[in-house]
Amino acid sequence: MRTIVRTLTFLTAALAGAATFAQDPQQGWLVNTLYQSGKINAVVAGVAVILAGLAVWLFIMDNRMRKLEQEQPRK
Amino acid sequence: MKYWWWKVLSVVLLLGVVIVGLRTPLSPALIACTPDRVAPGPVTVTLAGYNTHFTDAVIALWIENSGQRVCATSFKALSNDRIEMQFTVPPGLRNEFCDLWVRTRTHGDLRYRDAFYTVERGQGLDPATASTCEPADVAAASTPFTLPNRNILNESIRNLFFHVPMWFAMVALMSIGVWKSIRVLQLGKARYDREALAAVQVGLLFGLFGLVTGSLWARVTWGTWWTTDAKLNGAAVAVLMYLAYLVLRGSVPEPAKRARLAAIYSIFAFVFMLLFFFVLPRLNAVDSLHPGNGGNPAFNTYDLDSRLRMIFYPACIGWIGLSVWMYDLRKRMAHLENTRQHANDR
Amino acid sequence: MNSEFVQLLRLEWRLDRRQKHALGSMALYVLSTVYTCYLGVKQLTAVPVWNALFWIILLFAAFNALQRTFQREDGGRQLYLHTLAHPRSVILARTTYNAVTMAVLSMISLAAYVLFIGDRVLEEANVGMFVLAVVLGAVGFALALTLIAAIAARAGSGLGLMAILGLPIVLPMLLAVMRASKLALDGVAWSVTSKYFIGLLAINALAVALAAILFPYLWRD
Repeated sequence: MRTIVRTLTFLTAALAGAATFAQDPQQGWLVNTLYQSGKINAVVAGVAVILAGLAVWLFIMDNRMRKLEQEQPRK
Repeated sequence: MKYWWWKVLSVVLLLGVVIVGLRTPLSPALIACTPDRVAPGPVTVTLAGYNTHFTDAVIALWIENSGQRVCATSFKALSNDRIEMQFTVPPGLRNEFCDLWVRTRTHGDLRYRDAFYTVERGQGLDPATASTCEPADVAAASTPFTLPNRNILNESIRNLFFHVPMWFAMVALMSIGVWKSIRVLQLGKARYDREALAAVQVGLLFGLFGLVTGSLWARVTWGTWWTTDAKLNGAAVAVLMYLAYLVLRGSVPEPAKRARLAAIYSIFAFVFMLLFFFVLPRLNAVDSLHPGNGGNPAFNTYDLDSRLRMIFYPACIGWIGLSVWMYDLRKRMAHLENTRQHANDR
Repeated sequence: MNSEFVQLLRLEWRLDRRQKHALGSMALYVLSTVYTCYLGVKQLTAVPVWNALFWIILLFAAFNALQRTFQREDGGRQLYLHTLAHPRSVILARTTYNAVTMAVLSMISLAAYVLFIGDRVLEEANVGMFVLAVVLGAVGFALALTLIAAIAARAGSGLGLMAILGLPIVLPMLLAVMRASKLALDGVAWSVTSKYFIGLLAINALAVALAAILFPYLWRD
């Protein structure tokens, strides 16, 4: 469980960090680079799909783990 | 430390890849100009750039046609990505298309290939009037860290750090799966069967990621969600094969028999998957749109490829590390479920 | 080993002779499929469509013909074979027998197909190359699908499983062989298509080697 939480935290932190950089329209090149071309959306959507998929996987694992914890071995 | 250093390493690498891979600007490029044809006589041209610094970096502009140059008589930057220039085109340009060149102080020479269609072609410029300019060479400027700006890829070139490593991770996990399958056949132990299943499950997840990110990428570059590209077929078939593996497992109730049948199919499927990924795309290379096939430039022929690679290799290591970590969790959970079940059955 | 292989081949042949309806049903399947297509499209003159339809017919004929190879024996005969023969010779004999069957079946299908759907596309074709592509493709299906048929039969859950397991395995092979036969129909030179034939031969050799290595584990117990 601890490792799962750790993965999630790291990944969220990574994405959040990137997102704040990406949304900061400080100078010309950022606006140009990230929004003018439109093709960046493919990358953003791709990364979003990967993260959503990882999150679904984590939820499934979480549920299995909970089931495992609740099933006390009969003695 | 002994057990988790590689997990930390892969997460740190991925963090770096996400930040550097998404933040690094593309190198400057020329993307459009009007008008799109030239005839002898004076002409005013407006040129649009991408990530360029026209206001302070332009040294000279010229049209090039079959090695002969026509220099701009004057130019004025409207903004950093828009510049206006005047040419007096002499008669006699020979080739059908002209290139437009910009010499800059910061990024060297930028070329806009086939910028103009040549109206009223001749036999080449008269040497007396040609080469009206020989712009002074600039000392090679130390260019800032940028990613190559390739036609049709443009900004989506960053997908290289997300889409391609998905397939690397899938092949890595399927290799673990086939190794465990071989152990099943050799030793017949149920624990190897559980490990093989875990590897295939996580590998399939990465295969699906690869398909979806690839489909999104194809939409913005090739203009379609799906084509009959050789690599796409191979990838789809590999995913189908491992889905069939899961169906096979589901249809055999006895554990020992299931383990053996699944192991045999998985070894068979793995060898064929390698065939589809690495051999058939070369056989059907003519109709592949992927870089490196069918006359498309490969990524490693790109002018700034070493910069792509500096991010690409860590991305591969990071994603493979993450996928192996996920496999590790899945495997340990499967073992745990098994021991619990045994304890309950007793 | 060698004589064992020949004996097993002979056994296959005798089994099929005894069940005449089995051989007949394969041919009948192809004929009725071709006739159904004929009712649907009459004559075809477009090369890509003609080619694709032929390969689809042949692909499903292959699945139909091959899925019975391991299903026809009951427990008794399997045990008998198991005690007498080495599993490797069993799979090699079966694969060889299936390859020959598929080669014959592909020729029957081709004849029926040309008869009903039309031979106008063959006018400009490199016929020898086309026939070679058809035979190589059909043999390739047999080699790749024999082990799959064995797995499906051992899993013992009906006929659908064989298609699910086998289709992804033969699909890329089908694409390569379709392209080769399309080129043959366009009448191109051998130098253009030779890489497809070499590739197909390599895939076929790989499939046989894998089957020979893996089948003994399947046969166990």
